[in-house]
Amino acid sequence: MDKALWYLLTATRGGENRARLIRELSERPRNANQLADALDVRYKTVRHHLDMLEDHGVVEPGDNEYGKLYFLTDQFEQHREAFEEIMEHIE
Amino acid sequence: MSTIQLASGIAVVNILLLGLLTTVWVRNYRKFRTSLLLGLVAFGSVMLAENVVAIYFFFSMKMLYSGDPTVQQAVLVLRGLQLVAIAFLTWVTMK
Repeated sequence: MDKALWYLLTATRGGENRARLIRELSERPRNANQLADALDVRYKTVRHHLDMLEDHGVVEPGDNEYGKLYFLTDQFEQHREAFEEIMEHIE
Repeated sequence: MSTIQLASGIAVVNILLLGLLTTVWVRNYRKFRTSLLLGLVAFGSVMLAENVVAIYFFFSMKMLYSGDPTVQQAVLVLRGLQLVAIAFLTWVTMK
């Protein structure tokens, strides 16, 4: 997962926002609306990033349907070190 | 349209896609100073140069290419395959 995470977060067009989104979720689970506010990007953009991160097994939604909260997966937590390294490289 | 004109047309599309990719990687390098991005920028630049050189050859060595339709087709297939490869990379990078 490390290499995929590196490409997904640093080499793609939306990579920076995806990295910031993970940082937000590291503090506490949030829903798409709260993430859009915190990152100051459109709701649709956040939805797109959440779907991408869910496809890659980085985030998972909680159980309740309305205002669905997103959590970081255990799989991601195993690669937390790689993520922290990526964040250290942000200028 | 001749085979070589088609091949140079594909090289132009390759250049546009590579320009897009390299722009994303350079922009991201300003944010994330990682060797992964330096490598990608180098990769994109060399591929850009390769396509510019290809176009130069299509026009400057027309005589050489025009002598043999098989060579022309081979050139077209190679350009086409490279377009497919770059298109996939562009797709995953822009998503």
